[in-house]
Amino acid sequence: MAEQLTGSQVLCRALLEEGVDVLFGYPGGAIMPFYHALPEYPGLRHVLVRHEQAAAHAADGYARASGRPGVCVATSGPGATNLVTGIATAHMDNTPLVAITGQVPRAMIGRDAFQETDIIGITQPITKHSRLVEDVEELAEAVHEVFAVAREGRPGPVLLDVPKDVQNQKTEWNGGTVERGNDQRSHLPSFNRFALAEAARLISRAERPLIMAGHGVILSDAYAELRELAERTGTPVITTLLGISAFPESHPLHLGMPGMHGEVHVNRAIQQADLIVGVGLRFDDRVTGNLAAFARGAKVIHIELDASEIGKNVPVAVGLVGDARAILRELLEALAPRHCDGWRAEIESFVRPRVESFKGGLAPEGILGAIEDASRGRCTVVSDVGQHQMWVAKLFRYQRPNTHITSGGLGTMGFAVPAAMGVVMARPGEPVWAISGDGGFQMNMQEIATMVQERIPVKMAIFNNGYLGMVRQWQQFFHGRRYSATPIWSPDYVALAQAYGIPGWRVEHGAQVDDALRGALDHDGPALIEFLIEQEANVFPMIPPGASLSEPIESEAVTA
Amino acid sequence: MIIARAVTVLLEDRLITFTRAVGLLRRRNLPVRSLAVGPTVTPGVSRLTIMIQSDEATAERAVQQLQKLVGVRAAAAFPARDGVTRELALVKVRAGGERYGELLDVVQLYHASVVDDSPEAIIVELTGSEAFVLSCIRALERFEVLEVARSGAVALELGLTDAGAAVPANI
Repeated sequence: MAEQLTGSQVLCRALLEEGVDVLFGYPGGAIMPFYHALPEYPGLRHVLVRHEQAAAHAADGYARASGRPGVCVATSGPGATNLVTGIATAHMDNTPLVAITGQVPRAMIGRDAFQETDIIGITQPITKHSRLVEDVEELAEAVHEVFAVAREGRPGPVLLDVPKDVQNQKTEWNGGTVERGNDQRSHLPSFNRFALAEAARLISRAERPLIMAGHGVILSDAYAELRELAERTGTPVITTLLGISAFPESHPLHLGMPGMHGEVHVNRAIQQADLIVGVGLRFDDRVTGNLAAFARGAKVIHIELDASEIGKNVPVAVGLVGDARAILRELLEALAPRHCDGWRAEIESFVRPRVESFKGGLAPEGILGAIEDASRGRCTVVSDVGQHQMWVAKLFRYQRPNTHITSGGLGTMGFAVPAAMGVVMARPGEPVWAISGDGGFQMNMQEIATMVQERIPVKMAIFNNGYLGMVRQWQQFFHGRRYSATPIWSPDYVALAQAYGIPGWRVEHGAQVDDALRGALDHDGPALIEFLIEQEANVFPMIPPGASLSEPIESEAVTA
Repeated sequence: MIIARAVTVLLEDRLITFTRAVGLLRRRNLPVRSLAVGPTVTPGVSRLTIMIQSDEATAERAVQQLQKLVGVRAAAAFPARDGVTRELALVKVRAGGERYGELLDVVQLYHASVVDDSPEAIIVELTGSEAFVLSCIRALERFEVLEVARSGAVALELGLTDAGAAVPANI
């Protein structure tokens, strides 16, 4: 006779079958049967967060760093709704996040029961798929289905809602079934030979070509192919915010980040290009600026897994639908070596000397350089959202693939600290920096307690300028310097660190930077450094929202 | 070119799948004119017909986005003029005794039929393209129209095309 298990035990076994080794979660009434079973499965390490939002971000960070689905668990009602921002973050950036929520017992659904909420309905626009488990007999299959959907094709978050009585229901365990139901949609590449040949022809004939590499390169592990394409054709490479670290920044063909805070020469190169090869990106508005004025002289080849992205924002000459690595390999077969030295020299002539936007005191540039040196480049950087995010994107020199993690699409403040916990779990032994502003840090700083209890050695750096800096910058540029609700008070972070029992440093002068970094890195556990940076430093250059890439604000003088 | 287009979707006949598909239309801000949903000959599969007023690229993108939804088996789009579109309407009309004959003339003119003839009001059933149905309703407005129920259009493309061609025979 087959073994009798509860729904909760089935859930645990199915998670193990999916290769899950860590869960980020928070218990509560409707998920208690699952937590009752959990200690029987030591292969599933549970990290108890302090707020469910952090569980979702941590699972997201784990997924981004490992390439495998990250799992978060919450109870019904407020537990589930607290996951929403984290799920939306994963949705915009296409990370495989599996959210498991408890639900009130089936007989109570729809009766406004205590802690009941329609989490399937709430998360429908921000999940790739979601499923309410209506009977224990479908539970194992449901787990395998949501994991498969999260992983395959263009990854994304999924949600599995499990009523409490289903968790308690008894069933016979028949082993895992990884049936994918009868869903016949194909995820195979659908590019054709003619399109591929046309792409190769355009690349061979272009005089001013550029490659724009996005998150898809990282998701499909197409680093070597991207590099080969660039080197064989001599084409400079631009990396979008989520494409950063897809291409080594020490490489002579590396240009930088495009768009709203892209360097002037990068945006100018886009505007002068005659061909753009977009690989695994979606031509987001922060990248293109005013669409009507974007790269008017360029034909666009768009390599993208999701057919519905092709032509969504930018008209394309050739669309190649499929996995970036597979397509780049095919494309390379058709390309002969060439160079674009004249074009590269022209782009070189666009480079402006960096306008020193840091007037004194601690410059973010110096801090980031010191972090890079102290970690000897062997670290992963997780940034939050705002000015520091742009500095971290632009001023750090990424050499290794997938070492820059940030909330790009949704721009979720409070992401860095919890996401970094997930990154540490995925990359044990490697220094992981969570770099936040004083605003974003205060959104999820309660997670220091999680790091201490669960021994997760995140190194936290706070760029404290006393403002919600990016909003303040917009107020300075576009709202007549009316600093409405942007000055923000901070607690004594060193005292806060002490309260949590971790070491903390306050760095006010350049001379203190190295000692603090060394101290934090040498400490075997979480550590915190507050950097008091210049209060009104700005991120330059900046394309005003809605303007074209040809209209950057380059310095303070223009903004008076 | 912005014209009337039909987007047809074959999907699992579960409310959650239907909600996903309709939610997508709202989320992607599609110019929807009408929606109709009903069963197909395949048990468990419904057909959703969405009439939109858009250019070809918008319709094609809607198809690709719909195809990504779990539970959607197939989707296709075609210009309304390349297919047959039909809508059904029930119109409840009151016509005084002296105008009853005149009302029946209008019903006959539009090849409609009277499906209920109560003393207080009659119900007229009519079928045709959206324009035809509107024209008939307008003609009936000469009398006292009490209530109108329209089904939203269903559509099939002319010729051998089949939105469900991608669906294996065993579903």
